[in-house]
Amino acid sequence: MSEEIAERKLRAPAKAVKSFSLLRVWTIATSTVTQLVRMKTFYFLLAFAVVVIAAGNFNIPSTPAKELSMIKKVSFGSMDLFAWLFAIVSTALLIPRDLEDRTLYTILSKPVRRIEYLLGKLCGVLVVVGVSLLAMWAICSLVIFSRESLYVADEMALIQEDGRYGAEEVEAQIALIREQGLRPELGFAVLASFFKAAVIASVTIFISTFASSSLFTIITSVLVFLIGHAHSMAANFWLQETENNLFVQLLLKLFKILIPNFQIFSFSEGIVQGEAVVAALVGQMGALTVGYIVVFLFLSLLTFVDKEF
Amino acid sequence: MSVPAVEVKNLTKVFRTGFSKDYVVAVDNLSFEVEAGEVYGLIGPNGSGKSTTMKVVLGLMAASKGEAKVFGLESGAIQARNEIGFLPENPYFYKHLSGVETLRFYGKLCGLRGSELKDRTVELLQMVGLEEAAKRRLAGYSKGMLQRIGLAQTLIQNPRLVILDEPTAGVDPVGSRQIRDLILKLRDDGYTVFLCSHLLEQVQEVCDRVGIIFKGRMRREGTLNDLISIEDQTSLTLEGASPELLGKIHELVASEKGTTIIDEGNSRTTLERLFINIAEQKTEDTDQ
Repeated sequence: MSEEIAERKLRAPAKAVKSFSLLRVWTIATSTVTQLVRMKTFYFLLAFAVVVIAAGNFNIPSTPAKELSMIKKVSFGSMDLFAWLFAIVSTALLIPRDLEDRTLYTILSKPVRRIEYLLGKLCGVLVVVGVSLLAMWAICSLVIFSRESLYVADEMALIQEDGRYGAEEVEAQIALIREQGLRPELGFAVLASFFKAAVIASVTIFISTFASSSLFTIITSVLVFLIGHAHSMAANFWLQETENNLFVQLLLKLFKILIPNFQIFSFSEGIVQGEAVVAALVGQMGALTVGYIVVFLFLSLLTFVDKEF
Repeated sequence: MSVPAVEVKNLTKVFRTGFSKDYVVAVDNLSFEVEAGEVYGLIGPNGSGKSTTMKVVLGLMAASKGEAKVFGLESGAIQARNEIGFLPENPYFYKHLSGVETLRFYGKLCGLRGSELKDRTVELLQMVGLEEAAKRRLAGYSKGMLQRIGLAQTLIQNPRLVILDEPTAGVDPVGSRQIRDLILKLRDDGYTVFLCSHLLEQVQEVCDRVGIIFKGRMRREGTLNDLISIEDQTSLTLEGASPELLGKIHELVASEKGTTIIDEGNSRTTLERLFINIAEQKTEDTDQ
C-alpha cells in the first residue's frame, strides 16, 4: 500500500443491521403503495362506481326486495371481480418491472433480505387491495342505502295515500326490503373478496419470481385463478379416472396441491343473498388464506433466493 | 495490516446458455484486492467480466468457483451489504419518487429514521448539487442528474465501500467532470472506491490502482505510474522557450550518444478539457 493511501483517514465500520426487519418490509410496502397510487390504479374505482350506479338505476319490473337483491349481486360480483383482477395485474407489474428497470439491483445491494422484499411487495399490494375494497364497499353501501330508503319511503307513502294496504302488509314488505338492504353482514362478503384477492396475489408473486414478463405472469395467474374455481370438479373427475397412468396421476395430484381451491372462497355469494354468516367459517377461511400466503411466499423464496441478476 | 475492502480470490463465473450444455466463462480464476481507502479501477472492454465481478462482490450473483469478501465478510451477507454503496450503470430508480423521496426510501432500507435520515438527505442533496430539484420527480431528471442522485443514494448509510459501475456512462463532459470531482471528494473523505469503466482517461484521473481485465482474466494490475510510465523515456514540457534555447537543447541531445528526441511539438489540451473550458466560459459570460 502506498504511503499516500496509508495516510488517508478511513471511515468507521457501519452499524450492525438486524438480520430481519419488519421496518424494512414496511418501507418496501409503503413504497409499493405509493407506486401503485401514482400509477393511477385507483382510476378503476371510477369504472366500478359507474357499474354500481348503473345497476342502482336499472329498473326491472319486480318487487323492491328483488331489485335490491339484484343491485347487491351486481355490486358485490363486480367488487369481487375488480379485487382479484386488480390483485393479479398490480402484483404482476411490480417484480418484473423492478427487474427490467434494474431498480432491484439498488434495492438488493442494500441490507435487504429477499424475503423482506417479497413480503413488502405483497403487503403493499394487499394494502391497496384492502383500501380499494373499502372504497368499493362505501360506494355500494351508498347506492344500496339510498335505494333502500327510497323503497321504504314509497311503502310508507302507500299507507298514507289511499289505505289500500294495511299497516301489517306494509310492515311485512318493509321487513323484506330491509332484509335485502344494507346489513352489517355484507362486510363479511367484502372480507371474503379480500381473502380471495390475497391468495391470488401471493400466487402471482410466486409466478413473477420466475416469469420473464408481466404479460406471462398475468395470463398464468388468471389461468390459475380460473382453474382454481373448477378445482373440486376437475379433481374429482380426473383423479377418479383409473385409466390415467401413474405419471398423469402424480401430475394431477401436484396440480391439486399447487393450485388453490378458489371455490371455497366464494362464500360471499350466500352472504349477499341474505344467508346467515357462520363466524367459524369466516375464521376458517382467514386461517386458510394465511396458510396459502405462507406456502406461496415460501415457494417464491425458493425460486427467488438464488436468482441471479 | 488492515483488512482489504474487497478481496476476490480465484473467482470463476460460468453461465449456461439456454437449455444446451454450452457455457460461457465470464470470469476466469480472477484474484485481486482493493485496499481500504484506495480508489481502484477495474478496466476492460465491454463483455470482459467487470460487471459480473461486481455483481458477485455485491451478492447479486453467486460465484461458480472461488470467493469474494467485503471487509472480511462473505459477499452477499447482509452486514457486508451494509458496508457497500452501489451505483449501477445507467441507474433506474422509481420514477414516481422525487429526489428527496428516493434518498429517504433507500435510507429507511438501511435503518435510518427521523432526524438522522432527514439531515443525511439534506447533506447528500447539497453534496451532489440537487437541492433545487429535490422535490421534482425522477421522471423529469436528466441523465447527469440521475447519476448524481444515484451517487447520493450509494452514500446514504455512510458505507465504507462505494462500488460504481460505469459512473459516467452516457453523461456529457460537464456532468462527467462533476462526477469525477465527487469521486475524488469521496476518496478524500475516506471512502474506498471500486469502479468499473471502459473510459480509460476517466480511470487515469481518479484511480490509485488499476486492474486490466480481458476475457474474464486479470491481464495487468498495479499503480497508474507503474502501468503507464515508459522507463527509458522522459518528457519535458517547456513554457516560453525561445528558438535559440530549443536549438541548444537539440545540440546537447545530439552530442549525447544513444539519446534521441522522439517527439516534439506544442503541448495539446484534450478535446474534453477544451469543451469544459468553453462551457465554463459560456456559463460565466451568461452569469455576468
